[in-house]
Amino acid sequence: MNASAPASVGELQAFVKAKERIHVVGNGSKPTLHQCAGDAALARTGGFRGIIEYQPQEYTLTAGAGTPVSVINAELKRNGQYLPFDPLLPDASTIGGTVAANLSGARRYRYGGIRDFILGARVVDGLGRAFRVGGKVVKNAAGFDLSKFLVGSLGRYAIMTELTFKVFPEPPQHRALRLRYAALPDILDAVYYLNQNIFELDSLEFAPADAGWSLLLCLTGFADTLPRRMGALQESLRADTAALEAGELDGMADVWQPLAGLSGAYLVKVALAPKQIPALDARISHMKRRYSIGGNLAWVATDDLKRLDAVLLEQGLRGLCIRGAASSPLLGMPLEDSLSARVKRVLDPMNKLV
Amino acid sequence: MGRPTTIENLKMNHPFIEALQEIYPAERLLTRDVQLLPYESDGLTAFQTKPGAVVLPVDEDEIISTVRLCHRMDVPFVARGSGTSLSGGSLPIADGLVIGLNRMNRIKRIDAGGRIAVVEPGVINLHITHAVEQYGLYYAPDPSSQSICTIGGNIAFNSGGAHCLKYGMTSNHVLGMKVVLADGTVTQFGSESLDGVGIGPDLIGLFVGSEGLFGIALEITLRLMPAPERYRTVLAAYDNLGRAGDAVSMVVASGLLPGAMEIMDRLSIKAAEAAVAAGYPPDAEALLIVELEGEALQVEAEFAQLQGVIEASGAFEIRAAQSEEERARIWKGRKSAFSAVGRLSPDFIVQDGVVPRSRLGEALQRIGEIKDKYGLDVANVFHAGDGNLHPLILYDGREPGALERAEALAGEILAMCVELGGSITGEHGIGMEKRDYMPAMFSDLELEIMMELRRAIDPVEIANRGKMFPGLEAPALQQHGLHPLEKQGVISRE
Repeated sequence: MNASAPASVGELQAFVKAKERIHVVGNGSKPTLHQCAGDAALARTGGFRGIIEYQPQEYTLTAGAGTPVSVINAELKRNGQYLPFDPLLPDASTIGGTVAANLSGARRYRYGGIRDFILGARVVDGLGRAFRVGGKVVKNAAGFDLSKFLVGSLGRYAIMTELTFKVFPEPPQHRALRLRYAALPDILDAVYYLNQNIFELDSLEFAPADAGWSLLLCLTGFADTLPRRMGALQESLRADTAALEAGELDGMADVWQPLAGLSGAYLVKVALAPKQIPALDARISHMKRRYSIGGNLAWVATDDLKRLDAVLLEQGLRGLCIRGAASSPLLGMPLEDSLSARVKRVLDPMNKLV
Repeated sequence: MGRPTTIENLKMNHPFIEALQEIYPAERLLTRDVQLLPYESDGLTAFQTKPGAVVLPVDEDEIISTVRLCHRMDVPFVARGSGTSLSGGSLPIADGLVIGLNRMNRIKRIDAGGRIAVVEPGVINLHITHAVEQYGLYYAPDPSSQSICTIGGNIAFNSGGAHCLKYGMTSNHVLGMKVVLADGTVTQFGSESLDGVGIGPDLIGLFVGSEGLFGIALEITLRLMPAPERYRTVLAAYDNLGRAGDAVSMVVASGLLPGAMEIMDRLSIKAAEAAVAAGYPPDAEALLIVELEGEALQVEAEFAQLQGVIEASGAFEIRAAQSEEERARIWKGRKSAFSAVGRLSPDFIVQDGVVPRSRLGEALQRIGEIKDKYGLDVANVFHAGDGNLHPLILYDGREPGALERAEALAGEILAMCVELGGSITGEHGIGMEKRDYMPAMFSDLELEIMMELRRAIDPVEIANRGKMFPGLEAPALQQHGLHPLEKQGVISRE
């Protein structure tokens, strides 16, 4: 396989113009996405590495697309800030790969996903044209917002070289809670209860656990009020939902690492609404799974991808496989085509980017 | 592309009108001058254009048939909600069709547990909150015109408001949509999941803010938020504008994330005071409003911290709202500032350029210099938290050349915003008004790619033709005073 790591936008443009089929890769932390690239020339984003501009007082950060998420997270942390969309694989992935695959972690629940925090980008499209989309300030309504379109685009429309995000101050303290419920409907009742309540949760996750289900949640804020808020939250869940037991957790890991323990040949992200969970869960009860961001996303690990694909199709859902050798990373319902195909026609009419 | 078809007014035997008659009963197909008059202008009252006809669809099939007909017969159309656009976004195309969406105003479904509402495009922004507050929820984006502007218009222009820093603009609150593209294709994207599109490119992000150039939203799934348990609103008065700007930086540096941070300068304070008697400190050169929102215990802790910051910021007077009434009064002054300024001057233009927050002080100083150069007054009210300026340029349109001077002044402010690394618009959009400033912000290639995209979706360029891109046919500038609804105090500009 021929691979190249262009060191500049000019080199990347030349690379795009010279090749017939190109696949973009950051750190390769989502193997499925690359195994499907076939014989396409690999464009590595390592040449676009590093924080380009960071002004904590502006709440904005610009970094090369090939910058490891860990580098960005460390720099933000030094200034008491964070990426509220919570990149899913902070130790393994680049920021460009995170945007291209639209992968957020548990903390995305509080303020929003990548689409809510991306402000702008620099890209090279399938014709080798280099240009900017969006802006660099926290608010901008000029022109079509192609920067949001890049989120989830899998590098198939344009290659990102630089990305700008809105960032937020990170709350000083956090505390996590685990509640046990007998069955899934009890958990969903608790989720609906919380959705109509005033608690501003940092994260809200649930998964099957020894003879029942675990609800995992986290609150953030100031140290002096957090214990009281946590107490009120726990009391209200004990009183108004069918929790069997509740207890605070020592660390955040159980809440903030949604993929922990999801062993299986394939790992799939499924976007869904909480009300779609009962029907789906009944069909995949033999698979390892976790429902993330308040039941608006499922992580499913399985050895039988074909079966999962069929179930998703039957349930009217879409999935993205990020681990395991699949013929396509996209599962279930086909993607909307009439609008995205037109964007493809403009940005990559020769179908180079795969 | 050939010459556009136009509807010759009153000629009811025109084939396009005849085709519309197949879709609409007479009372929802407006062609007479007196019927068309209310549609000639929008919130940007300096422009007026007479459409050829107005249709008022009541269901999505009518909209789809209409768009397909326009595409087939090459008739340009503008979709319009309540016509509150401040950038002339819903200004009609001369002799084209206006598709008035106010009757598409059903809230089709509310799922309180799932925190979503499914609505039609003509639903009024604030009506959504009214419909869901019984569940402890609200719809977050709050443009100043929220008591009258529609979700469809909010989507076209990705509307913002005073509370955008924390929870974003309209785009951040749309989870799914069904749309008819300008060529008549009907498509759907997104879902009822908080993750929206979730898998595949974020088409919602692309469609929202496309200023009506891609097509019309038929059905929208919106994200609802839990209504804050507690608000804490602080008003601080300063003896100079720069100090108020510095206070914003201090609040940000302290790690607080307020729901809103607004600044008003002396002229807007004076105007607001005269108009609604908000009780603002009379001798203030600048006012800063900071609002915290959220869980009561957390907000009270943040409030204690905020008070310390504001006390250290050199404010000569600090007030914290002690009741919902006091909070409402503080906001009433702020939200009425624009129409209040309108009472000081026969005419005004409002801009909404953005600068990096840390350069607010510099930007305000330069606006002062620019206005002196032109000999016009400028009042400043702005969303300080996100660097979103709202200079109100006062002029008297009866004075020959005054409008042109005001436009030139506005142009210098926009150029300055770009130069400081910001944007020519934070929330009002480009529309008709700022088309000629697009090249200041985007390169020829970037503009060309946007135009290619537009043509890929709308090959005959019938959807909101003449907006967003520079250099196309423009109606003559005309001048006159406040929007009629503004005079009545129904709407206000932000």
